[in-house]
Amino acid sequence: MSEPLHDPLADTTPPAAPAAVGAPRQAPAFASAAMRVFDLSLGQMLWSRRTIFLALIVGSPLALGVLFRVLEMFGMGGNIRVGGASAAGATIFGGMIWILYLRFIIPVLGVFYGTALIADEVDDKTITYLFVRPISRSAILVGKYLAYLVTTVFVVLPSVVLLYLLVVPLGQGSLAASFPALLKDLGLLGVGLAAYGALFALIGAQFKHPLVTGLVFAFGWEQLALVLPGYLRRLTIAYYLQALVPHSMPQEGLGSVLQALFREVPSPWVSLAWLFGCTIVSLALAGRIVERREYVLEQ
Amino acid sequence: MPIHDQSYRHYGGDRSPQGRAWTVIAVAGIRTMLAKRKFLGLLILAWLPFVVRAVQMYIAANFPQASMLAASAQTFREFLDQQGVFVFFITIFTGAGLIANDMRANALQIYLSKPLGRAEYIAGKFAVLAFFLLLVTLLPATMLLITQVVFAGNLTFLAANLFLLPAIVLYAGVEAVVLSVVMLALSSLSKSARFVGVMYAGVIFFTHALYGVVYVVTRNTRFSWMSLQASLQHLGDVIFRVPSRYDTAPWVTVLALVIMVGLAAFVLERRVRGVEVVT
Repeated sequence: MSEPLHDPLADTTPPAAPAAVGAPRQAPAFASAAMRVFDLSLGQMLWSRRTIFLALIVGSPLALGVLFRVLEMFGMGGNIRVGGASAAGATIFGGMIWILYLRFIIPVLGVFYGTALIADEVDDKTITYLFVRPISRSAILVGKYLAYLVTTVFVVLPSVVLLYLLVVPLGQGSLAASFPALLKDLGLLGVGLAAYGALFALIGAQFKHPLVTGLVFAFGWEQLALVLPGYLRRLTIAYYLQALVPHSMPQEGLGSVLQALFREVPSPWVSLAWLFGCTIVSLALAGRIVERREYVLEQ
Repeated sequence: MPIHDQSYRHYGGDRSPQGRAWTVIAVAGIRTMLAKRKFLGLLILAWLPFVVRAVQMYIAANFPQASMLAASAQTFREFLDQQGVFVFFITIFTGAGLIANDMRANALQIYLSKPLGRAEYIAGKFAVLAFFLLLVTLLPATMLLITQVVFAGNLTFLAANLFLLPAIVLYAGVEAVVLSVVMLALSSLSKSARFVGVMYAGVIFFTHALYGVVYVVTRNTRFSWMSLQASLQHLGDVIFRVPSRYDTAPWVTVLALVIMVGLAAFVLERRVRGVEVVT
């Protein structure tokens, strides 16, 4: 006789005593259910072809780092300038974190994985199998969200550390001196991934075409609101994220434009509080929508 | 009771001439998109800049005090530049699922089991995307040129800028071809339209961000060929004979675009196959 198939969502607690056989089995608690979904989703997300592809994209700034090192090796390091002045490696690293990671990679990863948490299950018509399990629907969302967070952190952080090792030593830069900034960067990217992921999970739970809506927010609204005067920029995640950037931006050209835009920034603690609040509220709203919404699968 | 002949019967209908099958895919694709209300809303939104520019031309033509609003070649260049936002979203909305959805539903084998070649299949899908891109670039820009002539009541502007119509056609055509082929290639790489959308956003924004880093470090715009967006902008500046924002030689930009289209065509040739041979 063959072994029964392993069901990771099933309650694996054995019956305590023969007397309890007829008694109804308890559904797992919220945290326990979320962790089981996390366990199931993490394997699916981490070892998928998409994640490998995205890891390659996220790792592509390393090619620039290698290029800068090669330039320096051949004595052309003096040509590497930021804002017209010869730049230290830490400044270049800060610029790359700002332009590539905070402005592009983090929002894109958030859009892709965040909107896919529920929408992928709807597209694959597998959401029914999750929803018929005796667990809270919002626990499914939270479990998947945690899996997203771990996956993206595993994708992004190694790339940042490698980039740090490649770029910071340029122009006699000191790895040790800028190590605290690296730690702040890593934390900052984690906070960004959490905030964007939660927001896009909400969009994914609510909208039928979450990708377009997410892209409109990340590359339409956020870009526009940041350059508008007044309070509109406070309705973006980038506004609070940039307040946590530990690097000073270049003084001329593009850098000065960026600096002018972000001259009035909230304090780091205010920013952290807003980002944390945004994450919690978005997740709570997404959970509420998933609990109440009837997802109609296209035939 | 009559008994009908149930044996094999030859097809008695008309046969379409070979090489026209792509039009069936194109028409079906265009109709499918036009049936979506949200997409229609996006198309209407994409025409709003045309209305704004038309009002600008009306004011310039009727109020001498507002002569600074008069149209020039730069006006048309800027108009097509501004349409870039809509071009981006229409490309994703229309193009992301064009081949990916067929692959997801295993419909490619069904398509290619008909009297339809791979080239015709790709041409049909290409036509769907190119049609909508031209609908928000070529058509409004041409209409804007006509509007200028109508409001001015003379052909002076047109005669002084005879190159404008060919420039609009050429730039809109190049943009539609490059973006459509790149999007089709990406769409053939995955079964998920969502993933394709993200890949396309990556190609557009990430290459531009990489160029941004190189620019900040080197203070040199000669590396604009790294970015698809910058390459198209540069080509547009050259075609419209306006001062270019990049120092890249035009032939380098053209070469970069040709290589990109060539790569996309290679991907399409490898990916769009009726039978996947597993070794």
